[in-house]
Amino acid sequence: MEKSYKAPMGEGIYEVNTGDWRIQFPEMDKTRCTECGICLMYCPVNSVKAGYGEVLLKNGNTRQGLVYTIDLSYCKGCGVCAQECPQDAITMKRENKR
Amino acid sequence: MTVMEKLAFKEDMISPGISACIGCNVELTLRTVMKILGPNTVFAVPPGCMGGVGVVGWNKQSGAKPPVFFPLLDNTASMLAGIRLGYNAQGRTDINVVAFAGDGATVDAGFQALSGAAERGDRILYICYDNEGYMNTGYQRSSSTSKWAWTSTTPVNASGGGGKRQHKKDFPVIMAMHDIPYMATASPAYIPDLVAKVEKAMSVTEGLAYIHIYNPCLTGWGIPSDQSIEAARKAVQSRYFPLFESSRRKIRITRKVKEPIPVKAYIQASKKFRHLDDEQIQELQELTDERYRFLEAMEQVSQEG
Repeated sequence: MEKSYKAPMGEGIYEVNTGDWRIQFPEMDKTRCTECGICLMYCPVNSVKAGYGEVLLKNGNTRQGLVYTIDLSYCKGCGVCAQECPQDAITMKRENKR
Repeated sequence: MTVMEKLAFKEDMISPGISACIGCNVELTLRTVMKILGPNTVFAVPPGCMGGVGVVGWNKQSGAKPPVFFPLLDNTASMLAGIRLGYNAQGRTDINVVAFAGDGATVDAGFQALSGAAERGDRILYICYDNEGYMNTGYQRSSSTSKWAWTSTTPVNASGGGGKRQHKKDFPVIMAMHDIPYMATASPAYIPDLVAKVEKAMSVTEGLAYIHIYNPCLTGWGIPSDQSIEAARKAVQSRYFPLFESSRRKIRITRKVKEPIPVKAYIQASKKFRHLDDEQIQELQELTDERYRFLEAMEQVSQEG
C-alpha cells in the first residue's frame, strides 16, 4: 500500500488494512440521498468523503453544496451509516465470499 | 466554516487504519476531536483502548500525524504539565497540549495526577472517554462503571444476582468543583455540540480544561455495532448522562432534556444490564432523576450568582 503521509517521529505511519475485516459493505442510493452529511458525521473510520458539487433538490432544481461519497478502503462495515441515515438511503450488502 | 465543512475538510490526524473494534464510537470521538485540534497539537494516550489499537504507534511507526506520547496509566496529567512548561520556556504558547485518556486512567488510577494539575492550573486540555471500565484488558470494573453492571470482575450468577455493587462516580461534577476554567460533558451522538465544546476548551489560556465524553463500549457492554451511536444517544435522552458545561463552578446544562425517555429504554440497549430486575432498574431511574435535579439546582444557583 502506498504511504501517503509522513509522521513527525518514527518510521512513517502505522496502519492496519481494516478494509480487510469487512463482512458487509454500505451502498448509497443517490436517488434518496439529500446530502445531509449525517453519514460523514458518524462514520467512525472517516470513510465518508465530501466534495463540492451540485445537489439535486426534491423540486428538480439544483443547488451548490457538499456531496458525500463512501470510500471503502478502510471501511470496517459496522453499519452505523445505514442505521443513522434519516432517508434510509444507505443499505448494508453482504461482502462477496464472506 | 460550518460544522459540516470542518468535519469534511479538516485533515484527519489519526492513522486511517487503526484496529479499534468495528463501529467503535471512541474511534469516532478521537478522530473528530483531533480534526478540530489540528496539527499544532502534542497529545498523550495512556494505556487503554486507544493506546492498544495503535494510535500510539507500533513497531517504530507512529499511529498519528502529530507527536503522540504513551505515558503511564497514572501520570498522564503530570507529564503533560511538564511538556507545557517546556513549551512555555521556549516561548511557544500556541500549542494544544492534550490528553486522550480512558476512564481508568482518569477516574481511577490517574485521578491524583489530574486533580493536582487542575489545582495547580496547568494549561492542558484533558479529554476522558468514559466507557465504564478497563475495556482494553478484558472489561474489568472501574469506579466509573454503573451500579449493577456486569463486568469480568463483577460477575453475574445464574439467578441474575451480582454485578457491581457501587454507584458510578459522578466525575464531571468532581472536576467542575476543582474550580477549573472549563469543564464539559459530551457525547458522540451529538457531534456539533462536541465540536463546540472542544473549540471552547482550546481557547482556555489560564488553566486546565476538561471534557468528559460518554462512549458506550460495543464489545464490553454487548451492543450490536450499528447501534453504536443510538446507545450513546439514549444515554443522553434518558438523562442518564446529561450534557452540561461549567466554568469556575458556574454550571449550565447545554442540552436540556424536557421529556426524558425511561432509563429502562437506555439500559435495554446493552447486554451488561440484561439481568436487572424492576427494582434495580427503579434504583437507577431514581439516581438519574436525583442527579439531574442536582444539576438543575446548581444551574439555578449559578444564574443567580
